[in-house]
Amino acid sequence: MPESIPAPLIIDTLKDTFREARAALRAEVAEPPVHTHLGWILSVPDTHQKTVLAALDKEDSIRVVTCATEDEATAIAAGLHVGGEPVVLMIQHAGLYASVNTLRGVAMDGRVPMFYMIGLLSREKDKDPRESRHSMVRFCEPLLDTFGVPHARLEGPNDVHLIPEYYRLSRTRRGPAAVLVGLETA
Amino acid sequence: MIRKPEDVLRVIAAARGDAIVVPTMTTAPAWRAIAPGDLSVTCVGFMGGASSLGLGMALARPDRRVLVLDGDGSLLMQLGSLATIAGAAPRNLVHFLFKNGVYHTSGAQGIPGGLSVDFVMMARGAGYRMATAIDDLDAFKRRLPEILRAEGPVLVELHTGLAEQTPMTVRERTPFHQQLHDARAKLLRPRASAAANA
Repeated sequence: MPESIPAPLIIDTLKDTFREARAALRAEVAEPPVHTHLGWILSVPDTHQKTVLAALDKEDSIRVVTCATEDEATAIAAGLHVGGEPVVLMIQHAGLYASVNTLRGVAMDGRVPMFYMIGLLSREKDKDPRESRHSMVRFCEPLLDTFGVPHARLEGPNDVHLIPEYYRLSRTRRGPAAVLVGLETA
Repeated sequence: MIRKPEDVLRVIAAARGDAIVVPTMTTAPAWRAIAPGDLSVTCVGFMGGASSLGLGMALARPDRRVLVLDGDGSLLMQLGSLATIAGAAPRNLVHFLFKNGVYHTSGAQGIPGGLSVDFVMMARGAGYRMATAIDDLDAFKRRLPEILRAEGPVLVELHTGLAEQTPMTVRERTPFHQQLHDARAKLLRPRASAAANA
């Protein structure tokens, strides 16, 4: 049975993920870092991850940019990547559906490492998402499969290791990778 | 009205300094001819994304100016980006909007609202620090230094005629992913090339 993941655990994991990304960049490039914070969250508010977004408001070490659309978030992420900044996108499945052309044109054709945390709003606790009675839950993984985007489910606190793993995967494959937040964060 | 948008681009190219440039749609072929091999990334294949791509670069590199060369039809596709840019408040972003009232690339169909759409008012309403319209090349030449020094985000609505070329008549030679890679390398200097240049 899936469990809710506490927001502090996700935020600590994001911080570790950003620290690792910064260290990797320092090894890769000669240009000294411009920023002192750890990384960027680009969000289009997601009910499923609202406790994380609320806690991020109090975090000085992570910059949050709230975007009007997921299209914008994806393009902004590409610009931050060009400038050497680590980024995580926090959206919900409906936003993924709304922004597939940008996912294709920017993350895939642009070969931009793009790590998404996608909330599965309305996912039933006792059902596999692919068997959900809600189309917005049911189609998320098949859509990612269609576009060849690797993905994994965060089904509880023991799965947070997937955040740095899929973040790294987006870097190594130079394209999008996603984790799906199975239940509302706590 | 400024008859040739290419004239505006030449003025920008001469004054840009080390700014990063993000052209899109009909500004792209002319910019490539005017400033070949420069530090720029063309927004192609995701119409409307130029301002957001520029915002990401501006946030990443506050030590450089970022100049977005947008179109009116393009901006309408991601109009919310005005509010997102204003909210993020990058001091180093200048958003040039080439306003011609049509989707030139796809056959010059009129944009919704045509030339009556007031992007200056929209940018001000969204919270840009400065927004102005210019319809004369000499005025643009005169005001550009002030625009490039101003605290952003700045929007400059440029009333122009149609460009000679479009992305349909002159194809982008460098794939988008290669442009991103090249721009990143110029900005961050990967260690191998840094050593080679030492």
